[in-house]
Amino acid sequence: MTAAPTPYGKLARRGVPLIDGIEKVTGRARYTADLDHADALVGRILRSPVSHGDIVQLDVSKARAIEGVVAIVTGADCAHTYGVLPIAMNEYPLARGRVRYRGEPIAAVAAIDEETAERALGLIELEVKALPAYYTSADARAPGAVLLHDDKPGNLERDVHHTFGDVAQGFAAADLVREEQFSCAEINHAQIEPHASLSEYDPATGRLTVQTVSQVGYYLHLMLAQCLEMDSSRIRVIKPFIGGGFGARVEALNFEIVTALLARAANGKVMMQLTREETFITHRARPQTDIKLKLGMSKTGRFTACELQVVQRGGAYAGYGIITILYAGALLHGIYDIPAVKYDGYRVYANLPPCGAMRGHGGVNTRHAFECLVDRMARELGLDPFAVRRANLLQAPTRTMNDLVVNSYGLSECLDRVEHASGWRARLGKLPPGKGLGMACSHYVSGAAKPIHRTGEPHAVVNLKLDFDGGVTALTGAADIGQGSSTMVAIAVAETLDISLDRIRVISADTAITPKDNGAYSSRITFMVGNAAIDAAKNLKTILVKAAAKKLEANPEDIECGEVFRVGGGDQSSLSFADVVAAALVDEGAITVKGSFTCPPDFHGGKHRGGAVGSTMGFSYAAQVVEVSVDDATGLVTVDKVWVALDCGHAINPLAVEGQVEGSVWMGMGQAMCEETRYLEGLPAHASFLEYRMPTIAESPPIEVQIVETHDPYGPFGAKEASEGALAGFPPALVNAIANALGLDLNEIPVTPDRVMEALTQRRRQARLAKSVKAAS
Amino acid sequence: MTAPLADFHLAQPGTVDEAVAACAKHPGSRYVAGGTDLLVNMRRGITSPDQLVDLSGIDELTALATDAQGMTIGAGVTIAALARNILIADKYRALAQAAAAIAGPSHRTMATVGGNLCLDTRCIYYNQSEWWRSANAYCLKNRGETCHVAPQGQRCHAAFSGDLAPALLVLGAEIDIAGSQGQRRIPLSELYVEDGKAHLTLAEGELIVAVHLPAKPPASRYEKVRTRGAIDFPLAGVAVALTVKGKTIGALRIALTGTNSRPFLLDGTDAFAGKALDDKLLQAIDRLVQKQVQPMRTTLASANYRRLAAAALARRLTANLFAEASA
Repeated sequence: MTAAPTPYGKLARRGVPLIDGIEKVTGRARYTADLDHADALVGRILRSPVSHGDIVQLDVSKARAIEGVVAIVTGADCAHTYGVLPIAMNEYPLARGRVRYRGEPIAAVAAIDEETAERALGLIELEVKALPAYYTSADARAPGAVLLHDDKPGNLERDVHHTFGDVAQGFAAADLVREEQFSCAEINHAQIEPHASLSEYDPATGRLTVQTVSQVGYYLHLMLAQCLEMDSSRIRVIKPFIGGGFGARVEALNFEIVTALLARAANGKVMMQLTREETFITHRARPQTDIKLKLGMSKTGRFTACELQVVQRGGAYAGYGIITILYAGALLHGIYDIPAVKYDGYRVYANLPPCGAMRGHGGVNTRHAFECLVDRMARELGLDPFAVRRANLLQAPTRTMNDLVVNSYGLSECLDRVEHASGWRARLGKLPPGKGLGMACSHYVSGAAKPIHRTGEPHAVVNLKLDFDGGVTALTGAADIGQGSSTMVAIAVAETLDISLDRIRVISADTAITPKDNGAYSSRITFMVGNAAIDAAKNLKTILVKAAAKKLEANPEDIECGEVFRVGGGDQSSLSFADVVAAALVDEGAITVKGSFTCPPDFHGGKHRGGAVGSTMGFSYAAQVVEVSVDDATGLVTVDKVWVALDCGHAINPLAVEGQVEGSVWMGMGQAMCEETRYLEGLPAHASFLEYRMPTIAESPPIEVQIVETHDPYGPFGAKEASEGALAGFPPALVNAIANALGLDLNEIPVTPDRVMEALTQRRRQARLAKSVKAAS
Repeated sequence: MTAPLADFHLAQPGTVDEAVAACAKHPGSRYVAGGTDLLVNMRRGITSPDQLVDLSGIDELTALATDAQGMTIGAGVTIAALARNILIADKYRALAQAAAAIAGPSHRTMATVGGNLCLDTRCIYYNQSEWWRSANAYCLKNRGETCHVAPQGQRCHAAFSGDLAPALLVLGAEIDIAGSQGQRRIPLSELYVEDGKAHLTLAEGELIVAVHLPAKPPASRYEKVRTRGAIDFPLAGVAVALTVKGKTIGALRIALTGTNSRPFLLDGTDAFAGKALDDKLLQAIDRLVQKQVQPMRTTLASANYRRLAAAALARRLTANLFAEASA
């Protein structure tokens, strides 16, 4: 491990607009559904109308007989399961034998047009023998419940039991022990671009080309090879522009494999565009979560012990479930100093669309419960919420009880910044009736230190190509899905070589061209791909400096690299970048260099089972204050303002960091206030943007973002992640603000107006009851 | 929404008479103006009319005029035009507030007064895709046998969710209706009945041509509760109109939407004439609203919430409006 390079800082410190931004705002950007599919067949999927049952009959012969139907595939066409964790792949792209949720793909049609495809779907004869279906964790776990998967007793995908420190002693030492139960509704990523996939199979060459919405083309590439029994060298996965991911597209998704199966069956090209409803059904988002949390606190606000129980309703298949339930416990250790922690996690199968990774993966709901309970206990002890957090800060560098490594830690400064900016001390308790302030902290990993596929390869590889034209092309498998990762790569290269940003072109995520990358998840790209890009740029720099030195008859150590190469900083002997390139090419021809990044094993987490999850080389930290107004007549909550500070180590592109922080706060606001999935007997009643209530601009408050820079020792230029860390603080800060406004503690999110009214009604009822009891006694 | 539309004929009449004739010639025709309600239902396969009669080319439907009798608003006037009309904002405030609260800006530029008055009733079991409804054996309102909201009952409970109707009801609006028998004028309240499956009294082929408002309307306000501050239909919407006589109420009208299968004028507000506006009166209003609204599980928000919120809005709007009108 070498020390991180120092930032050159030549680019404007305000940051630069995303390098692909103009294409997007002018509409020139081509998303999957915009790709040329003039000669493509239309793919459509037949989905299960029942929640749980055995397929008794599936007859596609009538559908196949229609003119214009070119291919039909069913579970019989793919006998391989797919998934994301090598140890938990229990899902077929098209159901085989059993269906486990309403909307599960059963068969698919490729036809000359949409109408024909729809007609064909209607002619497929399906008979399913219904089994009991379970829509809550409790029902699925009840004794005697039918198992969704025979090898998973109790319908448990995974239970986790981790204890660190002496919990009993910790509670015994506490001045105050409180336990509360929280419930967080299931939510969905609701990325703006609906799912789509364009697959082309060339029977002459036996090659498959897939253009799709994936965040991790590499995972999809592997799953396509597995499910289609193809040699992976015959497959190419290309990522066009992507309209948001937020974790929805990390796993290979069923429709992507189904589209490829159709293309091969049709010996041609198939376009699959899912409806918004189907996009919701594909799901893979944050599970409904029941949390029981017990905390011990000294009267000075020090934590003494924590007992956490988390039950996640994971849906019908494994997906990312094991990771999610492990994260929910492990991440507790990464933000505060808690002397003793007991964690019991249960990931439950239920007859609903499978959950998966979503921004803030695994950490958000635990953080919500924790920050809410801490606030309530602080209130009980007469302590200020900021003071309690400050009493429990970590000291970096440190290694936590569960072997997470914290190398840089700016939470203290984040607290100072938002406390000051919000006028907390002057305003708390002095706001008019119905108004309140609340705060909370949060954190997130900068990439999982131990990758899912333990190949032993570097975590990231970036190639740079420099040719006669003087342009530097950066090739990265990292998928820019709107978060600005390609811009980050360009900046990392430009800063390292000290050359103009527009000399650099970034090609992202095409498995035929770009080196393999583990993709856009766990906020890994800036940290890992950024470091790899710097490494590659340094290697390029060595070659260029050598060529310049030769030409200028100087020592390489005396050469300054940049748009103009100089000797010893003087202008007397200098070369333009083009001259240096020409000189370098004389020796080498077109230059291709490589850079890589590897997280050393020391950072890979604990040796205990599941101990790798939560491990990272750099945690981001955030604190935020939320100001609300609550209308106690209608239960409507208005967020008036948010102050948020994020420690992202170093802001490589401050403009993009600010956007990402606003985005994560805003997404946290959606989960806190109004977003939730709702199923009626397993049917998604929320599957439109009318019923799935993302906040609109009308609810969006001013968000004041502050960037805290702790200069992480391992991050690229000292940077850590910036896209997820601020999310988890919003829901508890909001609920704490409502408590401040109304004196009402809410244990369920989202805090929709009906939930607020229900809580108010209950409080009035209890007050009446207390009054009458008092009167009677 | 990517679901395909089924084929249909399109008639594009230039006059109301032509529109009525086009509709009569082709049984099963539907009128379409902004299409913000109908086209969504068509894409979902809820309805597939053989012919659409497009009203957007009929000039006489877009009139917006005042005379000594009051104001006439053509059924084809867009919601956006209504929301930005200064005279309406000044004189018929509830109507302007209702218009501004409908859906989002892009919907409002397309949607029309007539469309909003004739909005189909809504239910979480009804406004779903073909796949969804088919998997749920459809429902009483559309192709099915059972109302999933109240399976024991015989009627459809889908809720009317238009915002304009309550505002127009408290303002005493009348509407002109054109049909093959010519035109007729009725009080707006007579347009609706309490049946989610057939909530409009329009005969086959009839269409609303215009809305008439009196020249001297009472002061009025409209407010709705919804989870988000835009796009959402009302969970409950309340319009209030009142006059003040000395220190007491002269006349009070309250109308509601979002809670029943029709928008309706609250019964019993006549009794408040001549009374001072105090807590007792506000409580009486609260009780009246809670008694007369019939929210059912047609939305994801609870029915009880809609009842309580409707009452709370009615109380607050009445109190605020009385205070303003008295000032």
